[in-house]
Amino acid sequence: MDTSDKQIEHLAKLSDFSLSEKDSKSLGKDLESIINYISQLDELDTKDVEPTYQVFEMENVWRDDEIIPQEATREELLALSKEQEDNQIKIPKVL
Amino acid sequence: MSRYEITVGIECHVQLSTKTKLFSEVDNDARGKEPNSCVSPVDYALPGMLPRLNGEAIKFAIRAGKAMNCEINPNSRFDRKHYFYPDSPKGYQITQFYHPIIGAGYIELPDGTKIRIEHAHLEGDAGKLTHFSNYSLVDLNRVDTPLIEIVSMPDIHSAKQAHDYCKELWRAMVYAGVTNGDLYNGNMRFDVNISLAPEGSDKLGTRAEIKNLNSFRSVEHAVEYEYERQSKLLDKGEKIKQETRGWSDATGKTTPQRSKEEAQDYRYMPEPDLPPIRLSKKFIEEEAAKLPTTPKQYREKFKNIIANDTLEILLDYKPLMEKLAELKEKSVARVSNLFTSVLLAEEKSVEMLNSLPTATQLSELCEMTEKKELSSTASKEVFLRFFDPDMKQKTARDIAKELNLLQENDLSALEKIVDGVLANPATKQAQEDFKAGQEKVIGFLVGQVMKASQGKANPSSAQEILRQKLKN
Repeated sequence: MDTSDKQIEHLAKLSDFSLSEKDSKSLGKDLESIINYISQLDELDTKDVEPTYQVFEMENVWRDDEIIPQEATREELLALSKEQEDNQIKIPKVL
Repeated sequence: MSRYEITVGIECHVQLSTKTKLFSEVDNDARGKEPNSCVSPVDYALPGMLPRLNGEAIKFAIRAGKAMNCEINPNSRFDRKHYFYPDSPKGYQITQFYHPIIGAGYIELPDGTKIRIEHAHLEGDAGKLTHFSNYSLVDLNRVDTPLIEIVSMPDIHSAKQAHDYCKELWRAMVYAGVTNGDLYNGNMRFDVNISLAPEGSDKLGTRAEIKNLNSFRSVEHAVEYEYERQSKLLDKGEKIKQETRGWSDATGKTTPQRSKEEAQDYRYMPEPDLPPIRLSKKFIEEEAAKLPTTPKQYREKFKNIIANDTLEILLDYKPLMEKLAELKEKSVARVSNLFTSVLLAEEKSVEMLNSLPTATQLSELCEMTEKKELSSTASKEVFLRFFDPDMKQKTARDIAKELNLLQENDLSALEKIVDGVLANPATKQAQEDFKAGQEKVIGFLVGQVMKASQGKANPSSAQEILRQKLKN
């Protein structure tokens, strides 16, 4: 499979990354080898096999609708962001 | 000008009023609370945090589905919808792309038109951004508030119908008890797809999508505006661009909007952290049975008692319908009239509906009015006192007594008052005029009786007695 520069550029854009040409080339190479490795699975005929959504075979794992006080405080959580203002996370302007 | 047929499809997001969020044990009701005060490490998407599904949201979804006459899918699961934007720290939204919980159904409009529902699914809401001149602020209180997104079929063909569909959907959700239904606070938001095609064409035109409308009126006006805009373009032979547009209530116009992500590529994948939902028939039936009385059932119940126009207005107030349903049938018409004429005519009415009089208070008021112990004006007066914090605990009779509103129905007492009026020389002339055939004068004499009784006489009884006495 060919992981072209264009695809890398597309993925970077979706994640809002800026990539140097050098990074883009080396990432492309890595991704290509990962995809080639995984592509070995294509040899299997999976026509009549249900897709595997999860491997634990659990279902209906629900919790009760009860509020539980959080250990992490608002201040602690906010402090994880680079900048804050008025108890909100301050970020570069987005539209 | 050529004529076009308009086709509208609506996606509606409904915030569910569960106690906690969809995937974390945090308070889901952030109304009036500080920014980022209803947030957990899960909502922040800190490394290693796992979503834990709120079972109540599943139950709410079943009820919501039943309120829209929908199939409930026994098997459903969650998927990740990837997008990069600061309103979602995870970098994806957990939604149900492949296997939604709610299947096909329909919403029936008051005129009987059925608008089909394609499906509806559960998902988490995004955070709230506030934009300033050169930065933005992020409040994560709303992150993963449970939503159901309801997708209609393109069955809507006018602005009015779009309005009616949204309103009926809102009623269905509010009566089902799954949302607070506060449109002003974004509890329900509408995305509206609008396309035009030449009349008679079997193909749909290119659509424009108007996102994030939060009132029925904006939906109606946006559809009207788009009809005009797109007709003009098509008349000129131009093509409609498939795009997202924003609506402004202030200008009454839609304008092209920069999309969140120019290249839309959500890279859906199954959510590995949440095991699938498998619902037994019994479980679905048990939850469906908890669906409270629907707007349609109320229409059926009251259709011969309350005038249709009035009923459609009153249906906007669920607590009021519940109250009417508590009353004996013969009181319903009178009480619904009192509400319509006295309360709904006033601005403050909606808040007053938060604490309604008891059925006993209302029934007694109706009985007293029926027995003519209260005039219709007096009964409105007493009714209003039911909302007065100082009087609302009192019975209709106590209030009437306290305000001196009870009508004089004791005929012998009334007769004495009439005799008094007739003995008064000031009414002599009027009596003669009446006897000489001047019918209108009776009004003056009744007025004198009312005055003498300090307004408590029953006017029709007073007139009856007067006529009798003047005949002799």
